[in-house]
Amino acid sequence: MSVVTPTSPQAVASSPRSRWNSPAIRRFRRHKLAVFGAATITLMVVACVFGPMLLPYNDTYIDIRQRFAPPFSGSHILGTDPLGRDILARLLMAGRISLSVGFSAMAVSIAIGICVGVIAGFYQGVVGAALMRFVDAMLCFPSIFLLLAISALIEPSVPSIVLLIAMTSWMEVARVVEAQIRSLRTRDFAVAAVSMGASNTRIMFRELLPNAIAPIVVAATLNVAHAILAESYISFLGYGIQPPTPSWGNMLEGAQSYLTSAPWLAILPGAAITLAVTSFNFIGDGLRDALDPRLDQR
Amino acid sequence: MSDRFKGKSGFELAMPALRRRDFLSLSAAGIAASVGFGARAQSGTAVPPPPKAPKGQVVIGLSQEPKSFNPLMPGVEVDEVVWTSVFSSLWMAAPDGTLVPDLAVAVPSEENGGISEGGLAWTVKLREGVVWHDGAPFTAEDVKYSLELIMAPGFKSRTRVGHELVRDIVVKGPHEISWRMERAFAPYLAQLANTQIVPKHILSKAEDPNTAAFNGSPIGTGPFRWSERRPGDSITFVANERYHGDGPYLEGVVLKYIPDMTALYAQFRTGQVDFVPISGIPANYYEEATKLSGRKVAVAPSGNIEVIMPNLEHPAFTEKAVRQALYASMNKEAIVDALYYGVPKPTESYSPRESWAFNPNLPKHEYSIDKANKILDEAGWKRAGRGIREKNGKRLEFALSTTTGNALREQCQQLMMQDWQQIGVSIKINNMPGAVIWGDFYVRSQFECLLVGTAFRTGVDPDPAPRFASDAIPVKGGSGGNYMQWVNAEADKLMKEGQATFNQERRKEIYFKVQEIVREELPILPIFQYAPLEGIKDGLIGYQPNINQRQNAWNLGSWYWAR
Amino acid sequence: MSGFLIRRLLQAVVLLFIVSMIGFAILHLAPGGPLSQFAASGDMTQADLDRLSAQLGLDRPLPVQYVEWLWRLLGGDWGVSYRDQQPVLRIIAAHIGPTMELMLSSTLLAMLLGAWIGILGAIKRYSLFDSLATIGAMIALSIPTFWFGLVIIYVFSVGLGWLPAGNRYTVGDGSFLNRLHHLIGPCIVLALVSTAVWSRYMRSSMLEVINQDYIRTARAKGLSERYILVRHALRNALLPMITITGLQVPTLLSGALVTETVFTWPGMGRLFLDSISYRDYPTIMGILMLTAIMVLLGSLIADVLYGVADPRIERNGQ
Repeated sequence: MSVVTPTSPQAVASSPRSRWNSPAIRRFRRHKLAVFGAATITLMVVACVFGPMLLPYNDTYIDIRQRFAPPFSGSHILGTDPLGRDILARLLMAGRISLSVGFSAMAVSIAIGICVGVIAGFYQGVVGAALMRFVDAMLCFPSIFLLLAISALIEPSVPSIVLLIAMTSWMEVARVVEAQIRSLRTRDFAVAAVSMGASNTRIMFRELLPNAIAPIVVAATLNVAHAILAESYISFLGYGIQPPTPSWGNMLEGAQSYLTSAPWLAILPGAAITLAVTSFNFIGDGLRDALDPRLDQR
Repeated sequence: MSDRFKGKSGFELAMPALRRRDFLSLSAAGIAASVGFGARAQSGTAVPPPPKAPKGQVVIGLSQEPKSFNPLMPGVEVDEVVWTSVFSSLWMAAPDGTLVPDLAVAVPSEENGGISEGGLAWTVKLREGVVWHDGAPFTAEDVKYSLELIMAPGFKSRTRVGHELVRDIVVKGPHEISWRMERAFAPYLAQLANTQIVPKHILSKAEDPNTAAFNGSPIGTGPFRWSERRPGDSITFVANERYHGDGPYLEGVVLKYIPDMTALYAQFRTGQVDFVPISGIPANYYEEATKLSGRKVAVAPSGNIEVIMPNLEHPAFTEKAVRQALYASMNKEAIVDALYYGVPKPTESYSPRESWAFNPNLPKHEYSIDKANKILDEAGWKRAGRGIREKNGKRLEFALSTTTGNALREQCQQLMMQDWQQIGVSIKINNMPGAVIWGDFYVRSQFECLLVGTAFRTGVDPDPAPRFASDAIPVKGGSGGNYMQWVNAEADKLMKEGQATFNQERRKEIYFKVQEIVREELPILPIFQYAPLEGIKDGLIGYQPNINQRQNAWNLGSWYWAR
Repeated sequence: MSGFLIRRLLQAVVLLFIVSMIGFAILHLAPGGPLSQFAASGDMTQADLDRLSAQLGLDRPLPVQYVEWLWRLLGGDWGVSYRDQQPVLRIIAAHIGPTMELMLSSTLLAMLLGAWIGILGAIKRYSLFDSLATIGAMIALSIPTFWFGLVIIYVFSVGLGWLPAGNRYTVGDGSFLNRLHHLIGPCIVLALVSTAVWSRYMRSSMLEVINQDYIRTARAKGLSERYILVRHALRNALLPMITITGLQVPTLLSGALVTETVFTWPGMGRLFLDSISYRDYPTIMGILMLTAIMVLLGSLIADVLYGVADPRIERNGQ
């Protein structure tokens, strides 16, 4: 997601700063799309966590006589799937899975990315070069090709899918962090820390990393979006999370063959994915503007 | 038979050969063989005669791409569409299982003297005047070369079953060949029916037959000549005007690769594709497809049986009672009727219904959760935590695996899971991509329980020994495909005898008995016999589903368009 | 310049080497293998399967297999497909045409559409159109490509009947118009993401140019807006844009794979998917290497063009 997004109107007043009324937070709040995104995600999370408890149907209950009921036609609000399971219940349960996959994969990929990036940026030289060439090599694989190749390695389950997605999406983070650390390293405070005899680990993670947090937060948000998308891609291609556990991606698997007779099978989960991913991208965009240090200096 | 060819008008009109065969098989099965291929009724339903010269073209839609063109090398079902059209074998298996001579003058038997010394000496006389597509004459040398190539150390041949028993191949004349067998092996006749002969004068000149140019543009003696291949898209054949058999009546054949079954069906509906074999039409379009005008939908039986394959070494399955309880609580009817739209038929046997060795008198399956619960109660499996049964400290639980991305199978799996939970069995679904599941996981018996569609025979011979014999367990050093690790002395003995006798009546008795044992012991839980929906355009004559071939374009040479 | 090129090429070779190792390791360590497809059908015995495995050399230690594969590759031999029995390069060559057709046409569409949206957005900054374009681009980047394909098929093929639901041409009709008709759907689907990217880049690069002194001077001289736009602004904004195309290669290849799957397009993406499911190692490795080469070439071209477009750019190690 390397899109250059224009900054929001630069009307940033230089009012006195308190911690919770910082310009960054105000800038984020002024970014209407980001607020919309945040609200949508909050709503989705609440619905997925509490929704299934309020529904009369279980997401795995099979009722073969009720198969292919269209939405709004009976007691199943959003209709049923080829096994007669309630789609709304499945969408909400799938949301739990897909969102958790998104967040967990993000966490893992950020962790890997930070470690590789910090080490490469701090040590530079041979270690740094070797690490960054490895990053470059990984980026030579188009992401789907890499996802598919690695998916052959694993037995599909929720944790392994998280790992799979994380393994293919840490490289951008590593690059961003490496660049930040490399430039921060020469700044006064870092030089000062070295002269005070701080250990390398301390300098890397206590002094340098906190100063690189802004781009990491942005990358993290975008990585959630990426992970949800990636999950849907591998599921669509048949290598994803296994039934009966629903995910937005595996609900779409096989939906193409019912496109004429039961289009809602394809439309609904896809719409959920698009909504979630768009929201995360909006938030990421808002965060980028909010945390942009150039705006801060104005 | 009537329900097998539900067309728009209820019955097939353009399949006279099949009706004739039915009629013939009523009178005497033996006569059918002499009728040969492409036999068309002269009377009865008004079927137009074939054209005098090849005319028109047929587009065959395939959801997999044929890629392996050397018929002696490894290939899958779609590849055989190419093999049976471009090549010929010594004899072919007709729909009723009789073998009909093709490159040979007669099928050797103990009666005609072709097989003697109790099955150890074989002599085959070959048809004269047959030429390869490049004009070179076909001789016994080609047959010898083909049989030897299969056994050549470096050659990646598909299967050596049967061939490995062949010794001392002697060319007795340009059109006569003989060899000896290490031991009597009746399934070899059927194995040869599925072994196409390749040209010696071309392949022997290649540096390495594995990578010969021939493998990319094959030359055979079949009804069609190889014309062109557009990889990822299509393959074109043209009529072989010098074909030795019946036909060809079509000027050309196009094998069109359309990787998506829905898209394939759409093109059949619009008429761009004339024939959809093998994977056929998705079952959810069955209703709609039968209503199309100008199209027929045939429920074409296949030799593959959908089964639950337990690993008998897994603690949950060692006991027969468990297998019986699982079988009783399997809602086969719901699976077949709802998920598969009632297209395939539930079965009790591992053998396809159309085989001469099929035993129709096996006990009928009854879906009963109560009965299943009773069986388990009696066997001492007690309900424990969360309602899961236990016995001697072992919980009744296993992982059920199948290929990922096969939506129908996954649905079937979840349906069974719901039933089995009711009898106190805990199931975990553990699906994998095809390349993983059918790898070591399958052949080294690492699975706990599989949902699989597979064939239990030797090539097209009904001998099930490679799948059921106790010396066919790979993980115990065997060489067959007994991946469930079934050991049964009685079945072993019967199957040995079945291989050694050429008397079909006796073999039939033997295989009936084997089926009874399998039904009782349940080393596999049979669900249904595969029956893909094959679509065919009206006016295309010659289609005959054939359980003894691996695909139903096997007799393409005798197909033609009604005018 | 040439020193820079040589350094970049050397780097690329090193990267390809690493790529080949990663790819080879991933593939061969994965469970399953090319013989699974035959084991499933049940008419080959275990003896047959074991023999084939030995004949294919799959029973040897992995490093030995890798070194042999690499050695052959260096000699120009990309190996023979397990499934096809044909040289890998010949197979790839036969599939690359349709993929190129799709990628080039959608890139062209994305450029035209994206440039138009971007320029208009830049000129009418903060207008309704600009806001909608911003939101639209963000959504376009968020839609799963395959799902967008399904929606296009549902609306335009199933619903309206305007477009074919898949394939590259109708059997028996390979005319140009017929091919074009089949190209529309997949082309739109694949162009979606690139259009969004293009329009965003175009907008910001236009904004940068518009605010530069020479444009202001031109305006002050009283030249017409249209003339200024085409003559000065667009030309200067376009140059850096070309580099974007080079960097888009990996995204485009991924998109092509998915689009080909949805629209049953007979290209390299399908070949890759088929080869993965057959575990056709030589073909998979061939495609992985080729895509890596394309990606590296793309970024190399982007760098070179960037230098040409803006000679002020200094070249350091990176």
